[in-house]
This record gives sequence, C-alpha cells and structure tokens, in this order.
Amino acid sequence: MMLVELLEALIFPGFLFTIGLGFLFDWLERKVGAHMQGRIGPLVAGPHGLFQPVADFLKLLYKEEIVPSFADVAIYRIAPSLFFLAPILGMLFVPVIGTKAVATFDMDLLFVVFLLAYSAFVVVILSFSSASGYTTVASGRLVLQYVSYEIPLVIATITAAVFSGSLSLAGIVESQSRVWNILYMPFSFIVYIVAMMAELEKPPFDIPSAKTEIVAGWLTEFSGRSLAFLKLTKEVSLVFGGGLAVALFLGGPLGPMPANSVLVPVVYGTYFLLKLLAIVFLVFVLRTALARLKIAQAAELFWKILTPLALAQLALVIVLKGV
Amino acid sequence: MPKKIGSAIPEMIRSMIKKPDTEAYPFTKITLPETYRGKLDIDPAKCTGCSICAYVCPAAVITMVDLGKRKVGEKELPVKRPKFDLFACIFCGECVENCPFGALEFTKNFEMATSQRETLVMKKALEI
Amino acid sequence: MGEPGESRKEASAGLVQYSTENLVPFGPIHPALKEPEYFKLYLRGETIVDVIPRIGYVHRGLEKAAEQRRWTQNTYMFERTCGICSFAHSLAYVQAVEGLTTYEIPERALYIRLIVAELERIHSHLLWAGLLGHWAGFDTLFMWVWRDREIVLDLVEAVAGNRVHKSLATIAGVKKDIPDSMKSKIVERTKHLADRAYFYKGIVDTESTLLMRTRKVGNLKAETAQKLCAVGPLVRAAGVPRDVRADDPYAAYGDVPLDVVTRNDGDVYSLLHVRLDEIVTSANAIDYALEHMPKGPIRLKIPPTIPAGEYSTHIEAPRGELFYFVKSSGTAIPERVKARTPTLANLPTALELLKGYTMADVPVVLTAIDPCFGCMDRLSFVDLDSQKKWSWTGEQLREYGIKHYFPERNA
Repeated sequence: MMLVELLEALIFPGFLFTIGLGFLFDWLERKVGAHMQGRIGPLVAGPHGLFQPVADFLKLLYKEEIVPSFADVAIYRIAPSLFFLAPILGMLFVPVIGTKAVATFDMDLLFVVFLLAYSAFVVVILSFSSASGYTTVASGRLVLQYVSYEIPLVIATITAAVFSGSLSLAGIVESQSRVWNILYMPFSFIVYIVAMMAELEKPPFDIPSAKTEIVAGWLTEFSGRSLAFLKLTKEVSLVFGGGLAVALFLGGPLGPMPANSVLVPVVYGTYFLLKLLAIVFLVFVLRTALARLKIAQAAELFWKILTPLALAQLALVIVLKGV
Repeated sequence: MPKKIGSAIPEMIRSMIKKPDTEAYPFTKITLPETYRGKLDIDPAKCTGCSICAYVCPAAVITMVDLGKRKVGEKELPVKRPKFDLFACIFCGECVENCPFGALEFTKNFEMATSQRETLVMKKALEI
Repeated sequence: MGEPGESRKEASAGLVQYSTENLVPFGPIHPALKEPEYFKLYLRGETIVDVIPRIGYVHRGLEKAAEQRRWTQNTYMFERTCGICSFAHSLAYVQAVEGLTTYEIPERALYIRLIVAELERIHSHLLWAGLLGHWAGFDTLFMWVWRDREIVLDLVEAVAGNRVHKSLATIAGVKKDIPDSMKSKIVERTKHLADRAYFYKGIVDTESTLLMRTRKVGNLKAETAQKLCAVGPLVRAAGVPRDVRADDPYAAYGDVPLDVVTRNDGDVYSLLHVRLDEIVTSANAIDYALEHMPKGPIRLKIPPTIPAGEYSTHIEAPRGELFYFVKSSGTAIPERVKARTPTLANLPTALELLKGYTMADVPVVLTAIDPCFGCMDRLSFVDLDSQKKWSWTGEQLREYGIKHYFPERNA
C-alpha cells in the first residue's frame, strides 16, 4: 500500500532510521576511539553521552551563520542541501529488512554509484564556492583525492556485480544466500574499505579537511545550520557506505532464518545491523590507529597499489565465473 | 624494525579493555599532595599588621587598610590590616614564607572560578 | 593582512614576484599554533615557494616590567614567560643574579635544581612528542603521550606544589626540599617513563603512516645548522654535539654524568628519536642525582640588594640554549634584564627548512623546532628601504607614540 511504503521511506528503514543510525555511529566513534586512547569520551548528555551528537547538532542549528563576503552565495547556500541529499537517498536503495530495499529497480547499482560520484562533485563545488585561502588548498586536495579513490571504489563494486551476475542490489543480495561474496573476492573488500575511508575523509585520508593544516579545509567557511547539516551528512555517509559494503560483500541482511514468518523483517534487520556494526568498528579501529597522509602519498597509494589490486581481483573473478 | 601498518593496535586493544585513565572530574574526587598551593587563608589572631606581606607580593594582591590608631605607652601607632584581592594572586608563596608570625597558609581549595570579582576579596583580617 | 596577489616587494626586498601563487595565511590564529605568530605562505598548488614571518603578537614587555620590580619579585614574573620552560627561565634568571654576587649556593640546592630541571625537560619533550603526533593527524599518539605527561606533572606537583609554575628557584637556593620519603616514588615513576619512551620509539620506527610523515621531512645538514645558529635538540639531530649541560656545566651537572644524544639525518624522524632518547637520559640523571644528593641547607638568607655589575649566563632549556643578561646598579631593583630564548634562534632554520615542501609539512616542520613563541617575541626597528636598524629608549618610544597618535598636539 502507498501508506506503508511512505512510512517505510520516511521512518524505517528510510530517512529517520538513517539519520538515527548516523547519530548513533557518531557517538560510537567517539566512545570507541576514546576508550582505545585511554579516555572516557562523551559522558554527560544522556546515558553514557548517547545524545551528545544530537546536542551538538541542535547547538549548531541556532548559531549565527556568517557568509564570507567574496563567496559565491547561491552555491554556498544551496550546496549543503544538495550534499545532504545523496546518502539519504542512497540508503533507500540498500536492502535492510529483506532482499528488496525500500526503493528498488533493475540496475539500481549504477544509480548508487552515481550517487557516490555526485556527492563528491557537490563537495568540490561547495569548496570552490567559499573562496578563501584555506578552501582553495582544500579544493585542490579534494579533486586529487576524488580522482584517486573513485576508480578503485567502482572497480570493487563492479567486481561484486560481475560475480553475482546482476546489476541491482536486490539481485546481488539474493545471489549471496549460500556463500558471501567476500570469500570469493577478499581483496575487493579491502580495496572497497580503504576507498570508502577516503570518501568519508576518515584518517588516514582526512586530507581535504585536515584540521591542523588548513583549519577545516572545505568546511572552514561554513557555520550554523550549514555546518550542522554538513557534519550530519558526513556521518550518514558512513551509514550509506557501510550499508553498501554489507550488501555487496557480506550478504546484506541474509542469514539463518527462524521458521516464524512474522519475525522475518526483524531478524533481517538485526543481521544487517550486526554486519554494519562490524564494518563500522573496523573503520573506527583503522581510523584511530593511523596518522594522516600527505595528498601526494595518498594518490600514490591509490594509483600504485589499490587500483592494480582491484583490477587483478576483477580479472580473477571473471576467470572464476567463466570456469 | 619492520614497517607495518597499525603498530599501535595492540596497545589500543589493551587500553580499551582496562579502565580509562581519565577521571570524570566533577563526579569523582581528586586527592592533592601535601605541598599543594591553593587558595590563601589568613589567621586573623596572628596578624599584627606589620605589612611585610604587602611589601613582598609580586602581584600587588595585598593592600593594607588603615583601621585607626592605638596607644602604646605614650606613642600613637597606626593599626593596619591586610586586604587580599585573591583574583590577582599568583600563588607564589612569598607572603606565606615571609610572614614572621605564620599567619598565612595555603589551603587545598582550587575551585576558585567565579563570575564576580568581589567574592574573591578576603577581608577576614579586617575584622578585629 | 594581505590580499591574494599582494606585492611581496614591500615585505622582503629583492624577491622575484610570481603571478600564480596563492597567499595562505598561517596564523596568527590557527589550530596548529599554540601561540599566535603570522607566517605568510606563498603556495603554488601545494608547494611552498616562500615563507615570510611576522612576529610580535605575544610581546608583553616583560624586560621593561622587570625594571620596576624587586629582584625576588622578578623571579616569579620571568617564570611566567612560558608555561613549558618556566623553571628554565627562573633558573637562568636566578643564576644570572647570583653571578653578580659572591654567595656560595648550597650543594643540595644545586642538586634539587638539577632534578626539577630534568623533570621539566621530560615534561616538555613528552608534550612535544604528543603535539607532533596531533599535528601529523595521529591523535592516538597524542593522547597516550599526554597521559604519560600527567605522571610527570603529578611528580612536580608533589615536589613543588604546582604543576606548571613551580616557583622553586630563588636567589641563593631553592624554596622547597625533596624529602627522602619522596625519593622512591620519583625513581619508580621515572623508570616507568623511560620504558614508555622506548615504547614510543618503537611506534615511531614501525608505524608506516607516521614514518611517511616524518622521514626525510626537513633535512637539516650540520653546516646549515651551524651557519643559521640553531640550538638545542634541532642542532643535535643534525649531528652537532652541542649541549650546554656538557659544554659549560651549571647547577650540579658537573657531578652528574649525562649523555649527549645526537643523530645524523636532521629530519623530523631524527628529532623524534633525539627527544625521546633525552627523556631516557634525563630519567637516568634524576636517579643518579637522587642517590648522591648531599645533605645540608637549601637556601641562604640574603639582603635585598644585589651588588652592581653585569653578568650573563646560559643554560640548556628543553628547547635549546637560553641566555640571560642582568645588569645591576647596586639597588633592590634591576637596571636591565635581557633574555635570548632558543626559539628565536631556531626560527630562521625552520623557515629555511620549509622551502620546497608542501603545505602539509608546515605544521610538522614548525613543530619540529619546538616553538615557544611566548618566550620569543622581541621588538626592534628596521627601516626596509634603507635597511637601517636601531633601538629606542622608553622615552623615545613614548614620544613617538604621542606624535603618531595625537598629531594635533604638535604645533
């Protein structure tokens, strides 16, 4: 029915669910990172600091918004909303409570890859629109980083699609009902995770928004509402990227099922969440353990090591599939 | 030594398992050593108004207030007592060690943050 | 402050002007700088073409203020020049004043000065290592090292009463004693810190991402270092074994054996190793000094005036060689006090090291010299067109100020 689908899109597993997960992962990142460093992390807002990201978001909403005088005001105003749109929309295509997602069509993997490229493009024009010394440097770094990570990311995604024989996420998830894809293409998984960390700008790839070098990179000239939504988008991108990884490599929400059919969506949802938590935890450990690279070194890493690895894995998978 | 990625990870896992090293300060108490130099305190009974503390203070915290005169034999001597503007105190300890009567001492109170400067003015010694 | 494309001739005469550069202001307010200083970076893409510094943002006029306070009061003021090398400043000042007199400082006081100075050196090097981790994007190292720094701060608090401004050194002695009950605690903690220093050296050697940020960044040769008058761990990492504690011993350094740590490469990686090794040598020096500390008084009672004369002394602060010059006219108030801090000597070296590197190296290289701009700021007058330098007295400065800001008062 239309109403059920609308509610699904808006609340679960649609917009509110994604945003809620975004806040939850922000809290988890800060807590896990803090305990690994011997600290406590957020403590006061809510039980064990659970509402701290929400408090930060709400605080930023009512702060003053200062537009730099030589910025391109039209793009400056509209780009944060355009940026926020991408992962929210993309999450609607990731299967959460079944093999079919809230929105699905044949070949929707291409649309999802387009959304990844689109969000990077929006960040670049966002960064160019606020023209200051710091953001100019950040724009250069952004473009270079984007060019470097996009190709291995897409190759890894295509490898999963080739092996599953389908270009829609529902098809890919269904083809993993016996064995997960990661067992056939572990290197693609590694390449995907590293490229995803570059897309999300987590250390060691947080070069375009390097806090200690160019103040806040492309985030520098934003404040108030725009900054609140930009930060939220970065968190939701983690949910989206992680969800995509789960769908492509870890079999989506599939797993051993109980006989009772009423509980099926709940069990699917639980499996999805557990797998997503595993991926996200891996991202947090890598993030806390590594220093930031320079842009030339990051580009070298992607072009010299990860792209050939992804291509080799793709060739192997094609041979495997042919055999 | 061989280069590897993530050589900090074993220590990270260890830190995650044991108790964190940060103290949740306002919710837990802190112990301070004996020699700690906190907020100043004066014993008005021992103070005689000799003004040595005001002379040696590097931060101009102590001002001597005239409280009248008293007769000693045939002479009339002024009576002064110190007033402390602890907002400016740098906790150096010059007044404490130079007071010949041992009237000043350091307490362990370090929570001196206030929004009104007047709350940190110590006039205990003026009430005689 | 500088618009993009501003002419650089006015800032430094004799440079060729490039047209494709981007002026990125590093400072005065920047997350990477503890204290404000303005570095104009001219970038082409990410490569640095030129760096033009402008200092003076933290100038407080301490040397002038010292001429209005008594000798003992000045000890506390100079202690507050810097939060990290505060004991070094007060020790150097006190040593300079004692040089004007003929007092014989008690031996126990000299040993206590050495112990606290070395504790401060450990604290400063740990702070620096953590900051380097933070500015290279490695926050985990930052948090761990600063947790170990808390151990040193607690030790200092137990000895002196305060974590940062120790207020321990005074003219002809020290103010507080180290009782025997505290010795075992200090020895045990410094041993723990030496072990932790070895652990961090292991991480520096093996963590690939950190190696990529610090290896071969800022290559300083020995001749360049000596020509530009670099001091402290910077020049020791370039291979020159220059250390005031070994070359010209003060306090109890003549009796306590100390190794001078040098490396050969002069990059940030060597600096990390030099400073972490110095933590180990400081820990050993503290243990030795605690064992062999003589008994006796810790200070002398002295009159409030200091005999007339001039004296200058130098000590090894955690950042390098620190000079203090004191001139007395025989009263209770000094006539002139002048300090030359190590960061001022290291700054030209840092700027020279930055040319040709990228923007991402700027905080790493600037931190590598361990800058303390609070100590560093000085004021002098240079006329750019005629390249003339001069200095003014207080009266002339005041007259110039009146003439400049109130032109209507001049007939």
